[in-house]
Amino acid sequence: MLDDIINHYNEAVFDTDKEAAFEVIDNALAEGYTPEDIIFKVVIPAINEMMAIITKDPDANLAQHFMTAQIASEVTEKMLLQFKSPPEIVGRVVIGTAVGDLHSLGKRIVSGCLKAMMVEIIDLGVNVAAERFVDEAIAHDAQVIAISAMMVHSATGENGCRKVRKLLNEQGLESRIKIAVGGAPFRFDPELYKTVGADAWAADGISAAKTIVDLIHEVNAK
Amino acid sequence: MSFESALATLIVHSDGETQHLQVDVGTCVRDALDTTAIRVRAACGGTGSCGACVIKYLSGAVNPATLAEYQKLSASERQEGLRLACQIRVVGDTEWLLEHPAHVSSWKSIAPEDLIPVEGQLPELQHFIYGLAVDLGTTHIRISLWNRKTGQRIANRSGFNPQSVFGADVLNRLNAALLTDNRSLEMAQLARQAVLEALRDILARDIGEVSPMLKEIGSVIIAGNTAMLALLSLNGANQLLNPDNWQQPIDCLPLGHDTWQSEWNLPNAKIKLEPALAGFVGSDLTADIIGTRLTEAAGASLLVDIGTNTELALWDGHRLLVTSVPGGPAFEGVGIRNGMSAEPGAIYRVERLDDGHSLKLSTLGAATARGFCGSGLIDMIAILLESGTLKPSGRFSQNPGPDGFLAEAENPKTAVTPGDVDALQRAKAAIATAMETLLTNSGLTWESIERLCVCGTFGRHLNIRHAQAIGLLPSLNNDKIELYANATLAGCEKALLSDGISLFDHYAALTQVINLSYVPGYDDLYINNLRLRPIEMHSVINT
Repeated sequence: MLDDIINHYNEAVFDTDKEAAFEVIDNALAEGYTPEDIIFKVVIPAINEMMAIITKDPDANLAQHFMTAQIASEVTEKMLLQFKSPPEIVGRVVIGTAVGDLHSLGKRIVSGCLKAMMVEIIDLGVNVAAERFVDEAIAHDAQVIAISAMMVHSATGENGCRKVRKLLNEQGLESRIKIAVGGAPFRFDPELYKTVGADAWAADGISAAKTIVDLIHEVNAK
Repeated sequence: MSFESALATLIVHSDGETQHLQVDVGTCVRDALDTTAIRVRAACGGTGSCGACVIKYLSGAVNPATLAEYQKLSASERQEGLRLACQIRVVGDTEWLLEHPAHVSSWKSIAPEDLIPVEGQLPELQHFIYGLAVDLGTTHIRISLWNRKTGQRIANRSGFNPQSVFGADVLNRLNAALLTDNRSLEMAQLARQAVLEALRDILARDIGEVSPMLKEIGSVIIAGNTAMLALLSLNGANQLLNPDNWQQPIDCLPLGHDTWQSEWNLPNAKIKLEPALAGFVGSDLTADIIGTRLTEAAGASLLVDIGTNTELALWDGHRLLVTSVPGGPAFEGVGIRNGMSAEPGAIYRVERLDDGHSLKLSTLGAATARGFCGSGLIDMIAILLESGTLKPSGRFSQNPGPDGFLAEAENPKTAVTPGDVDALQRAKAAIATAMETLLTNSGLTWESIERLCVCGTFGRHLNIRHAQAIGLLPSLNNDKIELYANATLAGCEKALLSDGISLFDHYAALTQVINLSYVPGYDDLYINNLRLRPIEMHSVINT
């Protein structure tokens, strides 16, 4: 029964028990469900459920976000290998941490969830120069540049998001490529994303995935 | 059956406050009080020659009055029960009244059992035989004064780093200092004056002379993390915020140290700030390596100094791999609702009683519980995990609500919240992952580790079994795990007693720095380590 699978999977994800989550998925495959079913009917709804829980629960635990995203990402990778035809991609995102910032974990949550939501990720790693963000976004025809910054000086610095905005503006790319930001400084000041020239921000990595998917749709609608 | 020395309770009342101290039989009353906020007056090193440390007997068993007391106290004073605290040895439970305590100071002595015995090859000295060792920590400053000729530790002090008002962690403090030149100068002077103040406290209380003694100090050795060294010397702080500089040593030595000699009024002292190993690994780690004799075991040895910034060193028999992780603030109480450092009232130990559910909390100074210090928090989380109140994911099996889970009924200062559990999970995962990464980089496994030296914030209070249960420390045999309270200070002290050769330079030459941010697979390991469960002892082999 699909409902049972969904319940058991959600329970495992809620408990951040990776081994248990994989056991549910393996059993489902053995029962004849397709990898496509598992992604679209189990994994993506589970992420949506987590988003709903996190938005309602301000005390939600960051360690659990990391583990949840990791499970989603690993399950997706495993299922994608078994897809009959390549999955339809929603869009592309280049992601990295701002210049001067080596905190790589925030963007992992975002990447993990986006991957499960069929968004292609180009991960540029940490301490990424503004020029590189823009060059890679053009090269991969990405709709969104996602910049993670965990420290005040990397979030607000001249060579971070502000410079990415300047480059997009100079090259006339602002309607084709949107900027999303995230990280602790943006939580302390919810208006900060505007100050540094971003189009959107999110308070946590899991809801950031939804913010980014919305930006992709915004670009694609034009 | 253990052969620990017998304990007695020493109770001292002063100015409406009461100290309850558990001390070994034979402990000197002045020494015991020097580790607390209630200190006796003093102007000699406890020899009975100044007569300042008068205290009144109330009850209990101590040694009879000594010759010094007969000389310093009149017959009528002795009749009233007055004694000199430096001459009193505790025999059994005993109670005293201190009517004229010393002025309140933020400087306290470190308990003798928390100090590491230090020996060195004593330098041949004629002049300026005294030396000062300084452990310049982010949270605490610890110093000790030595007679370098006889190799004797005269006294030590520990107190808070006054720069803390500008930020508890290194990054906030660097950002504050870089705001204006005036601000950075102010912060440098705060730390410099704190060291001087602690030194003057030693000279006044343990020698009895201040200004003449300052001239007799011939050597000062200071170790600290890179940020503390930069903030003290006013050199290098701006480079520290750029990660491109983190892999290399950063010059954060003072531009001219003549100014210090005059500022500290130490005309004859060679003041040495020991250089940091890299942008994010300070000379405090080098001092730990020296203090714990890390490289002296036959096999591989791992050192982890858990503090506001956690630093690690792995000795594989040939070289020292060093690194650091931002794993520590949670264990110092930062970001924990009822977190606090190891001060009176801090819950440092939690035990589950035989009935299986009620908890016994032990606080420093046997005071009313005011919050958890690192070791108490680890006990608490491990016990909640063991009883099933907490799940390995870090979730409470039943939401404790906004007030959190109360360890002691009706005391909100004993609450543990979901956010606290989260902070602890992330801190312990960072430390466990850093240890695993060092092992992997050396081609070693946990089985090959002979010694695990745990230094820093926990001191000797850490319950190793609990630290293992939540996955902070590996499940090695207990005899391989060593807890140190003051390894950094011991390293500086050893260097002080080894004039001529620089121990710090010797060990620095053996180190290789690893920046975990650039290690592939670090993030995967970290996320794998977030669950509250023991470290996988075989996981490192496969990576």
